[in-house]
Amino acid sequence: MPDGSFAHPQQRQFNPYSENGGTILAIAGADFSVIAGDTRQSEGYSIQTRYAPKVFRLTDRAVLAVNGFAADGNVFVKKVKQRLEWYRHAHAKDMPLRAIARMIQTMLYAQRFFPYYVYNILGGIEEDGSGAVYSFDPVGSYEREACRAAGAAQSLVQPFLDNQIYFKNQQSLPGQSRPLHLPLPEVLSIVIDSFTSATERHIEVGDGLEMYVVLAKGRSIQGLESFRGVQELTPNPDGDRVFVIRRELKKD
Amino acid sequence: MFLTRSEYDRGVNTFSPEGRLFQVEYAIEAIKLGSTTVGVCTQEGVVLAVEKRVQSPLLESSSIEKIMEIDRHLGCAMSGLIADARTMIDHARVTSQNHAFTYDEKIKVESATQAVCDLALRFGESVHDEEAMMSRPFGVALLIAGVDENGPQLYHTDPSGTFVRYEAKAVGSGSEAAQSELQDKWHKQMTLKEAHVLTLRVLKQVMEEKLDYHNVQLAQVTSDKGFEILDEVRLKALIEDM
Repeated sequence: MPDGSFAHPQQRQFNPYSENGGTILAIAGADFSVIAGDTRQSEGYSIQTRYAPKVFRLTDRAVLAVNGFAADGNVFVKKVKQRLEWYRHAHAKDMPLRAIARMIQTMLYAQRFFPYYVYNILGGIEEDGSGAVYSFDPVGSYEREACRAAGAAQSLVQPFLDNQIYFKNQQSLPGQSRPLHLPLPEVLSIVIDSFTSATERHIEVGDGLEMYVVLAKGRSIQGLESFRGVQELTPNPDGDRVFVIRRELKKD
Repeated sequence: MFLTRSEYDRGVNTFSPEGRLFQVEYAIEAIKLGSTTVGVCTQEGVVLAVEKRVQSPLLESSSIEKIMEIDRHLGCAMSGLIADARTMIDHARVTSQNHAFTYDEKIKVESATQAVCDLALRFGESVHDEEAMMSRPFGVALLIAGVDENGPQLYHTDPSGTFVRYEAKAVGSGSEAAQSELQDKWHKQMTLKEAHVLTLRVLKQVMEEKLDYHNVQLAQVTSDKGFEILDEVRLKALIEDM
């Protein structure tokens, strides 16, 4: 009331979350894994920055992509990295991918009643040398999959992946079988096509593309050598290896 | 409080002028009064064996429990104050289950051992005016056996919180004779069956009573079957074979 009295009930609220756009995606191969994300960070119609990484190398065999509320995402990655270091000191080894996946579940579920507003996709190499992708919801439900897209353009990219990776809605010729895993060059083309298309149709996607490629121990770099500007992030070529490929995306 | 020079062994966390913690040393002495316990590591798995002192013919020997399971892949044999070991085993079990819950993998043998040893040195710890959780050191030594990604392993822990890995180790009253026997007889290519026989022979040598299936207990940890205490039938067969 203008006089300061409370004749009617009133409600106030504070919304601690925001949504910062962008898209991430990961695809598992037989002995490799690709994890990618765009680098635009926006709020509403404004671009906050054209370079805010959403994909992070965790170990020599694990890469994490985080999408949603950027502030929560950054803090979450920071905490995951801290836990990985503690684990390394306590157990004298890098945390295996499957263990990282379970730990991320427990970390997310610990915030069940004030969640990190983030969708995580974890990619890398399992203990048996196979490529793997794990995807999470904000409170920690997770699943191992062959591919997953998340974020602003999930609804554009996931159906494309379902069609190209899982061969959904494709009629195969009689006697022709479908591969369980695609080779690396094809996967990289699909990733690039996904992001150029998402950039065309979604205003929150664009600016830059970062693709992380994790290769299993002993696998040749076959399929990567044709790419210009491939940068290796791991110091020793005898173990699992992590590479990053950076590309420009349209900035409009 | 002023302590006279001869009373350095009163405070559990007080060093003597020579740099010794008497209560910890006394705890280690307490183990030497316990029944003999033997552990042998092979490439196929680890074997644990204990002597059960049956003081009376009226005593149910099956109620003496000196080998316990920590997890499917971890076992533990003890010598000294068995009641103290229960606290440590409980801690190890909780740590192991927590690890499996959080990381979806088996805890390493060394990590489980480290967790037990962290607990061993918590005596005399108190915050402000609260009571300390434990007033004295644990009077027990453990042989922790397990199989993980690094293969079968055997660790020995003592009341000082020190742990050391062994291929074969004996603790308890007959440990000196048993340890030198193990040193003579243990070899790298030993099979699990040979290890069973070796542990029984070593126990037989150091035991006062005649060894039979009532007064020994045998357990093993292997990669495919995990921890198992050998039942009466298998134990009888092994005793006949030795």
